[in-house]
Amino acid sequence: MELKAVRNLRLCTKDCLCLYVCPYGATDTEDSIIDISKCVGCGICAQACPSGAISMVPTEYPPQQNKRDDVISVLNHLAQSKSDGEVTARQIAASTDKTGLKRLMTAVAKSQRLMEEDIEREGGFMLPQSGNTHELLMELIENPPTSDFPKDAAEKIMELVPNNEENY
Amino acid sequence: MKYVCQICGYIYDEDKEAVPFEQLPDDWKCPLCGAMKSDFKAEAPAVEKAYVPTHTETADLKKLSAGQLAAVCSNLARGCEKQYKAEESKLFNELANYFTAITPAVNDATVEKVAKLLQEDIEDYPHIRDVADNGKDRGAARVCVWGEKVTRMLSSLVNRYLEEGEQMLADTDIWVCTVCGFVYIGQEPPELCPVCKVPPYKFEKIERGA
Repeated sequence: MELKAVRNLRLCTKDCLCLYVCPYGATDTEDSIIDISKCVGCGICAQACPSGAISMVPTEYPPQQNKRDDVISVLNHLAQSKSDGEVTARQIAASTDKTGLKRLMTAVAKSQRLMEEDIEREGGFMLPQSGNTHELLMELIENPPTSDFPKDAAEKIMELVPNNEENY
Repeated sequence: MKYVCQICGYIYDEDKEAVPFEQLPDDWKCPLCGAMKSDFKAEAPAVEKAYVPTHTETADLKKLSAGQLAAVCSNLARGCEKQYKAEESKLFNELANYFTAITPAVNDATVEKVAKLLQEDIEDYPHIRDVADNGKDRGAARVCVWGEKVTRMLSSLVNRYLEEGEQMLADTDIWVCTVCGFVYIGQEPPELCPVCKVPPYKFEKIERGA
């Protein structure tokens, strides 16, 4: 399995050992993000880092778990309700003059979206590399919901993120 | 008798406390998550429940609404971000913003409607949990555990706002856990998210006048 080193900037305490141990200079960058074009995945920087800020992540991900139709169905129903709640709260936040209500409804809309994202993640869209995601993008490119659908973005994603279920 | 917070699971054990639960003041709050006294329930013995399948449930992936597609895409943007794929994340967010913009507005945007939808979700969770357990889907079960707690807290706060109005939020900040969506009212975020256990820096403050 091919791995690449990534640095978590929140954990990094700038002990700079990664700079000393990397044989390719991949860790020495102006924005502190490891240059993956130079990284060979040896893992020495991750082992040397005293703050545990570097982890090795695979370049290819295994297929996501299959979901049962009945689970997807009940999750979809819940997701729609969360979406309705989000839209309603956002509309109230946009139109009210009451500062407390505006903040509360902004919080509710954000919260509903976060729960909805979590539902979609467990409802078959965990990985951007999944067959599901690719099927959806393909469908949107072929039958865009409106004429101003950002087709280029969808096509670019399909090009950048390969489908990891094609050979399974 | 023990009383359990339905939001974070905090237990008020009368054997260990000086004041019986019923005698606590009405404005008493859960010391862990800030939930209201009315969000506590007396601890009940566990009951064995039977799974009742509903046969109307069939997945139809082709029929996701614009609102759902917005969340599918913003979730995938997060997925890309976690995989350190910044460009891909940006593109998925572009799709998410498109779907958010074309999601139809609702005619009756009232706080009462927000409260009603939350209450319906609370009533929906046990059934979803049954379907998840029956399918041995622990990921979907986890969505129910987190989602039900977060939804109960939202419902509790929205109902409180309907009773108390603006004074409820006059001198306090509102915080949203950016991982699970838990909403907390207070000057500072909690030390640990009572629902998903992440540290305070994962909380976002809702800015005034934003």
